[in-house]
Amino acid sequence: MEALIRPELGLTFWTIACFILLVVLLSKTAWKPLLHAVEERERGIKHDRQTAETARAEAEQLKADLAAQLAQLKAEVHSRLDEARVTAEKEKDLLIEEARRAAAAIVETAKKEIDVQRAEASRELKDKVAELSLLAAERILLKQIDHKANTELASRYLAELEKERPGLNLGNN
Amino acid sequence: MDLKAILEHHVVDQIWARIPVGPVSLPLSKHLLMMGIVSLILLVLFPVIIRSRSAALAPLRSMIEIVVLFLRDEVVVPNMGHKGAAFTGYFATLFFFILLMNLIGLVPYGATATGNLAVTAGLALTTFFLVNFSGIKNQGFFGYFAHLVPKGVPWWLYPLMFPIELMGLLIKTFALCIRLFANMIAGHIVILVFICFIFIFGAFGTAFGLLVAPISVGLVLFTLLLELLVAFLQAYIFVTLTAIFTGAAMHPH
Repeated sequence: MEALIRPELGLTFWTIACFILLVVLLSKTAWKPLLHAVEERERGIKHDRQTAETARAEAEQLKADLAAQLAQLKAEVHSRLDEARVTAEKEKDLLIEEARRAAAAIVETAKKEIDVQRAEASRELKDKVAELSLLAAERILLKQIDHKANTELASRYLAELEKERPGLNLGNN
Repeated sequence: MDLKAILEHHVVDQIWARIPVGPVSLPLSKHLLMMGIVSLILLVLFPVIIRSRSAALAPLRSMIEIVVLFLRDEVVVPNMGHKGAAFTGYFATLFFFILLMNLIGLVPYGATATGNLAVTAGLALTTFFLVNFSGIKNQGFFGYFAHLVPKGVPWWLYPLMFPIELMGLLIKTFALCIRLFANMIAGHIVILVFICFIFIFGAFGTAFGLLVAPISVGLVLFTLLLELLVAFLQAYIFVTLTAIFTGAAMHPH
């Protein structure tokens, strides 16, 4: 068993030679491409992450911009609506005022017209009444005055006329 | 039944041949074969898995990637700073080299190369070199050794502290070596002992052996799962300690 703990120096030499050879060859054939690929991937991941972060920042900026724009738009719409409401109110008042004025004017005109019409009507009525009463009086008079009365009346008239105008000799009396 | 022979057969390296190079002879052994298989897997399969774009290999690619990224983000950078990220490849190689050598010992006919002192010593030496090399490179030769003793130590303790810290460098390396070796070998020995229990109790009587067998097998399975955990854990610990030592050598404060 002492062979177990008696180092064989030749094997030590083989080991060192083998190991140095492996280090030299493997660092060129294996570890270099491996680490190269890994670094490339790490760089790619880093780049991707940066790109993603930039994109996110841009998106956030865009979102903020849009929100600001939306708020501005809302405010504008609000102000426009208010303005429109005020204008409409004014317009309405104006229209009502005008309508009221027009109505008043119409009423005024109508009143005047009515007055004129009424005056005319009353005048016409008066004429008509006068005419009618005249006619009625004529009829009544025609009926009431008989021949005798007529003669008497005529004679009295004549006498009166004679008195007034003595030159006129009528011959009677 | 020779328990010693069985243990040696399963745990100790088997040297098949030796190549004499100058004063030393380089062995060709089972553990070297395992190390070669692991190296082949790392050299051929890993680049293929990593470079392929096929969906079938995607899970394997993700697994490797997760481990490498974990090492980079949790082990290398926290201990060595962002300058240390360049060492990710080194630490990934170290981790997978140790991990696969640990795991190949759990495969039938496989052997645990990290359960060999010579191998763990080699790995610990690479860490030792890395620690000192990066320390000297970052702080300069004299700066590095001047900063070996931590700040706040009274000046009259320096003659004592400096040799201790110098020894500490070696002890850390030695501890790395022993820790990995002992952890990898212990599980195997325990498994072998549990299996040998069946035959030991079987020697008292067949019925006795049959009674012990299910318990032993259950315990062996449990130990095997524990070894699976330890394989990952020890690879992680080795790498983390290397990162901590190197980071401490690079940044003394």
